[in-house]
Amino acid sequence: MKTQDEIIAARQRDWHELEAIVSRGEAFHQLDGPSISRAATLYRSLCNDLAKSRARCTPDLVAYLDNLAGRAHSALYGAQPFRAPPIVSLLFREFPATLRKNAVFLAIASALFLIPCAIGFALGLHLPNTTADILPRSMLEGMADAYSKGFDAGRSEATDTSMAGYYVYNNVGIAFRCFATGIFYGLGSIFFLLYNGLVIGAVAGYVGAAGFGGNIGTFMCGHAPFELTAIVISGAAGLRMGYALVVTNGRTRLGSLRESAPEIARLVGGAAFMLLIAALVEGFWSPSAVAAPVKWTVASIFTLAVAAWLALGGRAGALQRRSA
Amino acid sequence: MLERAHTAHPIDTTAEIETPEHLRFHYPIAGPARRGIAYLIDFLISGFVMALFGLAAFIGGIAVGDAIGEVSFGIVLLVKFLFDWLYFVLFEMVWNGRSPGKRALDLRVVTVHGHPLRLADSFLRNLLRAADMLPWGYVVGGVVAALDGRFRRLGDMVAGTMVIVEERRAVAASIRIEPPPTDKELRSIPQRLPLSGEELEAIDLFLRRKDKLGPAREEELASMVAPIFAKRMGVRYKDATRFLMLLHFRANTRRKAA
Repeated sequence: MKTQDEIIAARQRDWHELEAIVSRGEAFHQLDGPSISRAATLYRSLCNDLAKSRARCTPDLVAYLDNLAGRAHSALYGAQPFRAPPIVSLLFREFPATLRKNAVFLAIASALFLIPCAIGFALGLHLPNTTADILPRSMLEGMADAYSKGFDAGRSEATDTSMAGYYVYNNVGIAFRCFATGIFYGLGSIFFLLYNGLVIGAVAGYVGAAGFGGNIGTFMCGHAPFELTAIVISGAAGLRMGYALVVTNGRTRLGSLRESAPEIARLVGGAAFMLLIAALVEGFWSPSAVAAPVKWTVASIFTLAVAAWLALGGRAGALQRRSA
Repeated sequence: MLERAHTAHPIDTTAEIETPEHLRFHYPIAGPARRGIAYLIDFLISGFVMALFGLAAFIGGIAVGDAIGEVSFGIVLLVKFLFDWLYFVLFEMVWNGRSPGKRALDLRVVTVHGHPLRLADSFLRNLLRAADMLPWGYVVGGVVAALDGRFRRLGDMVAGTMVIVEERRAVAASIRIEPPPTDKELRSIPQRLPLSGEELEAIDLFLRRKDKLGPAREEELASMVAPIFAKRMGVRYKDATRFLMLLHFRANTRRKAA
């Protein structure tokens, strides 16, 4: 039987060769065919060495071989150049199809968002003073002031850029948090849906009561179809995640969660895309000096487009797959 | 040295991966300190870049006027958004599971099956930072990870990933006795050593590691066991480490002859 030193002496050259190949790391997939099959051969014999060494060598050597095997494994089995995901198919087929599959969660999330939104709106409109006791008065008054002027003059382009940046940062953050906190059995998503619904409704109502309802409506109508829908979808994804934790269908909680992960990722990815559009619209179009009727018309077109996208996207593909 | 791996359980937390070759190997799992430091590095890097952008915007605002200032402000916020939500995804895709901080500390994110992570995995695990961060300073993530055998935070669990340590290691050095044992020295060592397999293993391990220990620690460890062995064999020795080397030499020459 060979001693450890003899094993090392006999095999060390192969190990170093494999190490050299694997160390190229991310560039592994760019190697030519012979090198890759050489790596595969070396890896298999390394597996052999590792099994043997576990029985008769010191932990130092086993650790070295373990480490090398791990790196070779991840290089050989994962060697694929980074490919951009098929964005178009993801956004226009898989995302809407997944969303329809989870229509129940979307419906619940919509209710959780829209009902407090309506309550907040009614409160803000009819009892603005009470509303100001619930939400920070400075915020409400700031909003009313901001919408008091209307958009006849428009804003400078510089301000547009500035605000677009702010909307991306703030609103996408809101939506992502609305999703992520769903991990707490859905409770975080429920809270953020209710809270954001209430605040958005109350602000709109308060500004309306102050007499600038037309302004805020004209401002919000353009990006609302994207932004509010995306927040609700993020919330729905969070609820889906919480549901997977509660109703496991005989799997472990973790297993159930893992199984829902691809759907969840698709939903949030789609929502993120919508939020990006929303931020651009909110930054550049919503505050522009375009006449109100035009804005409302465009808003209607946006709404129809979003509805068609989410209701119809991926249907043809699904039919084709079924008939194939 | 014969039945080592069956009896010795690794003390470190490791994740066992079974490959299609029916081979099992182990990844050491990254613990809280290492991940914390890696995060700190990433945090400082993004903070530094943000500060640079902010400074450029500020200077631009002063030099050119408010118009540029506001454009820059928008861009700064966009950059902050990208750093908050996409910094990790970007690096984990380009560097196969490593952000700069992870790279500095030899960490890598892999799937629980040991495969490189894909875009959706990275996207999910990093989005859920928003939950792991709560209420501040990754308290939720830390507690959850501490309860998990593979130190996974919520994001790792949803995405099916874990963070492993991937240090380059060197092949264990072979043991050489310098100067070679003399006949006189060897005569004092019994032909059949009254040592158990575990004791021989311990000697072996000590000799392989002694160069990393430093002379004082080496001497201390050797003189803890050498007297016990010497007494058992009824021999005397001058240098404890040297004595252990001779025992090791004798054990190995005997096995080779057998």
